Order: sequence, then structure tokens, then C-alpha cells
Amino acid sequence: MNPSNPADPAVEIVRVRKDYGSAVGVADVSLTVGRGEFVTLLGPSGCGKSTLLGMIAGFVDPTAGKIIVDGADVTQVEPYRRDIGMVFQSYALFPHMNVYDNVAFGLRMRKLSKAEIDAEVRRVIEMMKLGGMEERRVRQLSGGQQQRVALARAIVIRPKVLLLDEPLSALDKNLRAQMQVELSDLHRKTGLTTIFVTHDQGEALSLSDRIVVMNRGEVQQVAPPIELYRTPANGFVASFIGEINALPAGRYEISGGEAALVLPGIGRLTAPARPEWRFGHGTEVRAFLRPEHVQPAGTQAGDAQAGEGANRISGVVAAHVYQGSHTITRVTVEGIGLVETRVTGAEIMAEAPVGAPITLTIDLGQAVLLGEG
Amino acid sequence: MTRRRPFFVTFLAPAVVTAVILAAAILEVLQYSVREFIPGSLDVGGFTLENFVRINRPIYWLVLLDTFYISLLTAVFSLLLSYPVAYALVRAKRDWVRSLLISLSITPLFTGEIVRTLSWMLTLGADGFVNSILRKLSIIDMPIQLMYTRFGVVVALVQFSMPVMIILLATAISHVDRDCEKAAANLGASPTAVFWRITLPLTMPGILSGVVVIFAWTMSAFSTPQLIGGGKVLMISNLAYLQGFSVLNMPFAATLSLIALVAALGSLALMKSATGRLEKRLAIH
Repeated sequence: MNPSNPADPAVEIVRVRKDYGSAVGVADVSLTVGRGEFVTLLGPSGCGKSTLLGMIAGFVDPTAGKIIVDGADVTQVEPYRRDIGMVFQSYALFPHMNVYDNVAFGLRMRKLSKAEIDAEVRRVIEMMKLGGMEERRVRQLSGGQQQRVALARAIVIRPKVLLLDEPLSALDKNLRAQMQVELSDLHRKTGLTTIFVTHDQGEALSLSDRIVVMNRGEVQQVAPPIELYRTPANGFVASFIGEINALPAGRYEISGGEAALVLPGIGRLTAPARPEWRFGHGTEVRAFLRPEHVQPAGTQAGDAQAGEGANRISGVVAAHVYQGSHTITRVTVEGIGLVETRVTGAEIMAEAPVGAPITLTIDLGQAVLLGEG
Repeated sequence: MTRRRPFFVTFLAPAVVTAVILAAAILEVLQYSVREFIPGSLDVGGFTLENFVRINRPIYWLVLLDTFYISLLTAVFSLLLSYPVAYALVRAKRDWVRSLLISLSITPLFTGEIVRTLSWMLTLGADGFVNSILRKLSIIDMPIQLMYTRFGVVVALVQFSMPVMIILLATAISHVDRDCEKAAANLGASPTAVFWRITLPLTMPGILSGVVVIFAWTMSAFSTPQLIGGGKVLMISNLAYLQGFSVLNMPFAATLSLIALVAALGSLALMKSATGRLEKRLAIH
């Protein structure tokens, strides 16, 4: 399956646009979601991801463009005739109904027989581990249980597409991690085409088949998580996905198989050239480096990645953030600003206390290089 | 160290003064209700329960029942007419529509009760607006009787109560979680189904409090039934007025007032417990 153009599309978004007065909510977005695919719309708040989701559900009218679900153009179809399941950020459970009635609502609207409704509701309640809670008021449920009711209510109608609008954002951290696993399980079990909206890149990376990064109403990049993390298409994607150090612009030099980045006033970083670096000799490029690819010199990890004496920059330790398995150390480097390193263990806090000088090695071979413009 | 007086005690003072005066007035009414009536005199005699015995006559019971009936009709029709207005007021997409609806529904609150009642008399009279229109359109030959009827009284009372009802309903409607309505639509509910199954149940607390407030309010209506009823439609306040200021039987007027008060409070308590049970069942709040 070609990831950017699935063979069996469940949802096709064709040059969809939404203007709010003179402001642009969503700018000519095209996207195809394959059947059974889990696609995440990722971006900061106001990037248009929720508007796009609202247009798929039918709550927002596009200014232009088409939305095709299962081959049928639904752009002008009322929301209640679209057969698209949706989980809202607030869950939007019906407070005047119990769990059973909440889950049964969509089936009752479809005028199924009582027996059919009961069988389906019980099946989904079982699947979502809500057995025994049928009679409970939704207000009496915990956040995680409410979340599961919302999911149950959306999947029981066997929707053509399942839309999830930041469904995990209201949960605390542990529950969020657990629900991520459950969402993933649910997707595997049901095989439902799922479009997930979030501003949390961690959720996006762990759940998605493909991620659509959006900013200011425009799609920045569409790619599977690993590709997105390793080869972001632009500076926005690079800084939005994971932690990253943005180095100032430098000059790219290439001779033989060896590439170099000359940073005026800072130094010269080198690495074997990578095939995707198709910059001309002397062009201006910017390097983006993950914290794990910046290491203190003198350590095994640091020397292994840069080689003795090469690719080093010096600075002063500004702060340590201890994270258990690793420590994030922020180093002030003249000409760059704060550079973040991610070092295994806790030893660095004793070896290089705040205020101490430190030398960092940089693994340019792992860096993302982007040409200007 | 001296304990500091909580600051809000000072703010409570005006309320306390008002409450004390009100309690004193009610006690005075209570006191009057157990006094002997001396015909032809404003002075009252000694202690008696005669006034309460006298209540137990069909004519007075009928007035009390009629008062309940008129109050109930007013509350129900006020609800039916106000809900669409409140809904439009909250949900209108355009600002000017909302502003227009707010001013149209609230302005009547700022015209006096007498002015409003007089307008209704002009509207409902034999040569009034309604009859002239109907006659011009040749729908009727003879003017229909609207003044001095229960119908006329209820029409006027409904119009008076609508601003308050609209405010209460609009508050309830504005508190409905729009996401719940969207979720229902998403699950296949047509706009009609969304209204009956989501919006209406979720606004039930507002509907109940609106009905209770208007019912209790109408129970004590005076000038509307007085002027539009013209003595042919008597509500309990009119009866008390009649006794107190025409017959000058202050003790019996006091007894009637007391009965009216107890009836109003009693029906409020009944409705409160009913709505309490309903709300618990709905478990909205």
C-alpha cells in the first residue's frame, strides 16, 4: 500500500477549505484515508485539525472542496445521515440517560428491533469492559469509564469512520497511557477506519499508521510516525514532533562522501553525506538535532557518535531535568542558545553541575538538514 | 485578640430588616384572622375562629379552585408560548435577532401592571382590537365576549408572565451542552429527535422552575383579574379585597389572605418535591 495514496480509500478529502470571514480555518487540504487506517491529525491549537474533523462529521460546512466517504460525496449530507461515529473531547454523554441508554441511542435512532439493540449494546458493553455498569448514571462514572462509554456509543452503530476529537486530553497521565493502549486494541479488534485529532505528539506517534501534521490550516507533512520523526519535511514539523535543537543557519559543504556544516563562530560539524541531503556546495542549510544525538564529550556514548576530537561544541550547564531513566541537560552555547541533551542515567548531574563548563559532541549524521525556503 | 466580625454580617442587615417587617406584617394578618368582625366598624372584636369556619362554604372553595385553575392554565400556556421564543433567543445566529428578541420579551417588564391591563382591556373589549379585526374580516357578526371571562384573564396573565418565563427558559436552554446535541445528531438523530430526546429533557429543570414560579406568581394576581375579570372572574386576592374594602370585613379578608398564602406555599412545596424527584431521576445536576 502506498502510504500517501491508499488503494482502498474510506475517506477522501478533496481540496477542502474553510474560511471564517477573512480568516482561514482550513486551507485547501487534500487527504486520503485508507480503509482500516488509523490517521492522526496533529497540530497546535487553532491549526484547523478540529475544524477539518467537524467538516468530516458534517458539523462545519466547508467553504469549498469535497468530502467523500466510501465513494459517496457527503459534503452536502446532514450529519445525522452520515453514519460516522464521533467521540467528543468532552465525551458529550447524555446526562439524563444511563450507560445502557447512552450506548443504545444510535441503534434506537436506526429503528432496530429491541432484541437486535439489546444484543449489540451488550456486545459492545462487554467489549469496552463496561459490564455491570448498564444502569449507572454517566455522572457517576470515572473519567476512564466515561471515555469507554463514549467509545462504545460511537462504535456500536458500526460507523463507516470513527472520529476521535482529543478524547484523551481530559484524562490524567496514567489513565491516558492506559487508554492509548485500549484505543490501539480497539482499533485492531474492530478494524475501523479512524481519524484521531490531537495536539499531543506522543499520542500521535504511538497510535497512528500515518500522521498529518497541520499548522495554520495547512498540511505540513503526511507520513508514518517513524518517517515523520526521522525526516521531518520542514522546520515546523521538526520542532513539533519530539524535542529538537534548532541550530542556526550554516553553510553546507560537500567533498567526496563527506558532508560538513560550517556554523560561523561556532565550528565545523561533519558526517558522511546522506542520500537525502541534496544541497549544493555552499548553500545555506539549518540543522535540527534530537537531544539524544547531542552527548557530553568524554562519555562513551558521546565519543562513539562523534569520534575523538571532532564535532564538538562547548557551553555551560544551565539546568538538569532528571527523568528517571535519563536526564535532560540544558546547556547554554554561545551563538546557539540553549542546547538540550538527553543522557542515560543520572551521573551527569554530579559530573557537570549547573554552571560548570561542558563539551558536547554532535552526531550530524542523525541531524535533519533543511535548506532555506 | 478580638474576634473579627465576618464582613458579610453588615451586608445582611438590610435583608434582616426587610424580613422582620414582612414577618411582622404576616403576624398582624394572622392576628386579624382570629378576631371577631363588628359590622359597620373598622375596629375588631375579641378572639374567634368564626372566620375559618366561614371559609368552609362552596362559594369560597370555588374561588380558591378557580385561582388554582387559572394559575395552572397561565403557567402551562406561558410555558408553551415562551419556549420557542427562549429557544430562538438563545440559538439565533445573528446578534440583531437576539437583541430584538431580548428587548421584545423583556420590555413588558418595565411597563406597569395597570398600563398593561388597560391595554388588554382595550384589546379584548366589545369594540376592542380583536373584535374589530374579526368583524372587519367578517368572521363574526356580533362581538364575542372576551372581557370579564376567564379566557380573557388567562390571556392577559400569560402575557404578563412570559418575560419571566422566557428568562428562566433561556437560562436553561443556554446551559444545554451543544456537544450533546451534536453527539445525538452524529448518532443519527434528526433535528426533531435531537430536540425531543436531548434538548427538552436537558432543559426540564428550567421548565419546572418556570412553571412553579409562574404558578405561584399568578396565585397572587390581583389587578388583572380585578380589571379584566370585572368581578365576574374572582381570584383569591380579589375576594380578599372585596371583603376588606367593600364589606370592610378586615378579619375575614385577613383569613382569606392567610388561606391564599398557605395555598401558594403548599402548592410550591408540592411542586418542589415533585420536581425534586423528577430531577433526581433525570440526574442532570
